[in-house]
Amino acid sequence: MEQSAVANSKALAEVELIIPSRPEYVGVARLAILGVASRMRFSYDEVEDIRLAVGEACTRAIERLNGSPSEGEPIRLRCLIDTNRLTIEVRNPLLEAPSAKPTPESEDLGEVTDLSGVLIRILMDEVDTEELPAENTHLVRMVKFAAR
Amino acid sequence: MNLRVETRNPRENLAVIALGGEVDVYTSPRVKQEIVNLLNAGTTKLVVDLTGVEYLDSTGLGVLIGALKRARERDGDLKLVCDNLRILRIFEITGLTKIFDIYRNESEAVEKL
Repeated sequence: MEQSAVANSKALAEVELIIPSRPEYVGVARLAILGVASRMRFSYDEVEDIRLAVGEACTRAIERLNGSPSEGEPIRLRCLIDTNRLTIEVRNPLLEAPSAKPTPESEDLGEVTDLSGVLIRILMDEVDTEELPAENTHLVRMVKFAAR
Repeated sequence: MNLRVETRNPRENLAVIALGGEVDVYTSPRVKQEIVNLLNAGTTKLVVDLTGVEYLDSTGLGVLIGALKRARERDGDLKLVCDNLRILRIFEITGLTKIFDIYRNESEAVEKL
């Protein structure tokens, strides 16, 4: 499977960051990814796209855990740096049962929307999510390709 | 908190909320509260000036959508001011340029209300 190949392939370098799943730390994740992406062959706009996508992925993780027994559990970011691509994994605990609570966005709109999901899918070249019960992990994996 | 909020009332029933810095999951509740306070106080015509905003995420977009909806429910409206191409792009890729009126400067937006 391509997903596993991406996850298991040896990256040139790796950067990991663990943040509390609280809104005030999302900015820390954005700053870190800005530093990582700026060292690669991405344009200014591409770096900004990656920064926004990572912020959205962390925000989703916080909102997903909000009100669950896992609230406050850390969010783990792993950046796999290759010559022509950056893979970012955002991991947080699985929920025991899906939350029926509407997100703030859906409350505002009066209908279910997923602006953050739309943004992530548009801003990154590849996006997939995986549930890993053995590791009690919900994983979002995002890839952005750099110019060759 | 890297967010600036400045509100002015250039005329009765109209408020200009100038935002600066980052509007994200941490700071957007403050923006929401400011708008809710204005609406509860009877102001139904809103201009949100995003000129000074360096970063806007989906939670910020959600607050603006909610504000637009609530203003229109009260027979008012909300106009945006933005000349930052990065921020404009976020509205474009999410399709929100279809529901928001976005102007290049504040005087144009105020004139339309």
